[in-house]
Amino acid sequence: MSGFRIATTEVDLAQLRETLQHPGSGGFCSFEGWVRNNNEGREVSGLEYEAYDELALIEGGKIVDEAMARYGVLAAQCVHRTGDLKLGDLAVWIGVSSAHRDEAFRACRYIIDEIKHRLPIWKKEHYLTGDTAWVACSHTERAHEHEAPHAHHHAHPEPADDTGAVATPPFRPDYSRQTRLREVGEAGQAKLAAARVLVIGAGGLGCPVLTYLAGAGVGTLGIVDADRLDASNLHRQTMYDARDIGDRKVDLAARRITALNPAVTVETRAEPLHPGNAAEVFAQYDLVVECTDDLGSRYLSNDAAMLTGTPLILASVYQYEGQLQVVSGKPGGPCLRCLWPEQPAPGIAGSCVESGVLGPVPGVLGAMQATEALKLLLDLPGAASTDLLLINLLDHATQRLPIDPVQGCRQHGGCREVARRALEQAQGDTDVDVHFEHLDEAITAGFRLIDVREPAEIAARPIDLPSQAVPSGQVTEHASVFAGGRVLLLCASGMRSSHAARLLRGQGERNVYSLAGGLAALRQASDRVAG
Amino acid sequence: MTTVNLQYYAQMREQAGASGEKLTTQAGSLRELYDELRVRHGFSLPADALKVAVNTQFSDWSRTLDEGDTVVFIPPVAGG
Ligand SMILES: [Zn+2]
Repeated sequence: MSGFRIATTEVDLAQLRETLQHPGSGGFCSFEGWVRNNNEGREVSGLEYEAYDELALIEGGKIVDEAMARYGVLAAQCVHRTGDLKLGDLAVWIGVSSAHRDEAFRACRYIIDEIKHRLPIWKKEHYLTGDTAWVACSHTERAHEHEAPHAHHHAHPEPADDTGAVATPPFRPDYSRQTRLREVGEAGQAKLAAARVLVIGAGGLGCPVLTYLAGAGVGTLGIVDADRLDASNLHRQTMYDARDIGDRKVDLAARRITALNPAVTVETRAEPLHPGNAAEVFAQYDLVVECTDDLGSRYLSNDAAMLTGTPLILASVYQYEGQLQVVSGKPGGPCLRCLWPEQPAPGIAGSCVESGVLGPVPGVLGAMQATEALKLLLDLPGAASTDLLLINLLDHATQRLPIDPVQGCRQHGGCREVARRALEQAQGDTDVDVHFEHLDEAITAGFRLIDVREPAEIAARPIDLPSQAVPSGQVTEHASVFAGGRVLLLCASGMRSSHAARLLRGQGERNVYSLAGGLAALRQASDRVAG
Repeated sequence: MTTVNLQYYAQMREQAGASGEKLTTQAGSLRELYDELRVRHGFSLPADALKVAVNTQFSDWSRTLDEGDTVVFIPPVAGG
């Protein structure tokens, strides 16, 4: 049940108060907004409230939920009146019950502040003089923006001056705790300030990497991430808050970094790198940290690092364990392809979505990536190690395995040559992924549809257009299906179909394309209300 | 017969239901050993999608087994 409703007639307060009774509650706090007899020097005789009901209900429900989550209160309710109100009438009622009084007061305050700010409800004042006016209520202060221990700056990192906030002196970073290290010192700090580091992926690995590198005073941080924050990210992506869901991670991460260390310059890219620009982008940075959960990105980063001679720090996690590898970018290698020469098909390598992951595991591996980055930038002892490190956080087993390029890429012309060929081939395939908002547009454009999902997935979410089914793992055995005319492969997220399309193109089927982003990227038939 | 220590990572750990085991085998090479383990644990990955290391050194699949070897199978991992 939503904690917010709109009432067109008088509200039964006793009954409302009853709904907040909870055995664990030690306190109850309520706020009532009344119609008063004056506003900004004018005598008021009555009020009229008008709401955009549908949106107000959705947003009001969210605000109450946010307050409950933010302060951990046990129950909260809010009712807003609409229609004609007399002097002294109740216009809005908020009640909160919780274990202790402090969070009840704060939650109550949060709800009224946010409601004044965010709800599409308008007020028309009737004056004693007989005239009327619509009044905006946009000048409200949000008390929670000044809460010291939980300070939470959302859209307004700097509170407006008219709130009475005391101006703070300009921030001066203090790196004394790390410059005190003999190997770092002021000279090391200057190296960090001059450094440009690119972090690809602002997720479970990227959060600790960005946080530590920003805190350490790396002069410029580039961030690449095309995703928006999802609720399922929050258990491991520690830079973000529940209220950020739906926002672009690059924007959230940039804001967080600026809040943490205003001395850092942030450069953001909301599009993934692609074979056409990866090397050019890598060349602009001193070091790259690969933090995505995408094998394609990992291989692309490896090749771009080898081609441009940019050091690259790779890490990946699986459930309770992780792998860490530093690619120096030096022509002799070793590199990722020395270990696993070709990118495995999707499904072969486990991902967080399919296999699950314990939140702190990417935290540990990301912190290690940040450490490796600082080691390289500061030229600390051990920075040159290119061993593959395996860590199992369940039994604390670690393995350090030296990679021998002689057994790897050297047999195929060396890491740099292997990278150059791979990138060249990938560039030839850049038109593989095509975007459509609706599948019938693909049919109109002359594509034949081939569904490469597994039969169980197709049964769970069928597409209601003519298509053929060939599971992604079997496309090369059914090459004849793909001959003649343009075909569009589709799967749930676009990963398997893209890989299958590239495989088929490698076999000479040049008319094979993949639905970018998969079915998940199609526009829903029923567009929901924005909120 | 040779007795070796086996360690599994990522999805292989899951498929084996353990992060390691001791095994006495007639397998002559790492490849034969892996073929035996695929039958035993139902490993889904083909050998060429994996790296194998013996006594903390990456190894060739044709390497023969010595008594007491520690063999580690490492699949690529994509999570982040
Ligand atoms: Zn290599």
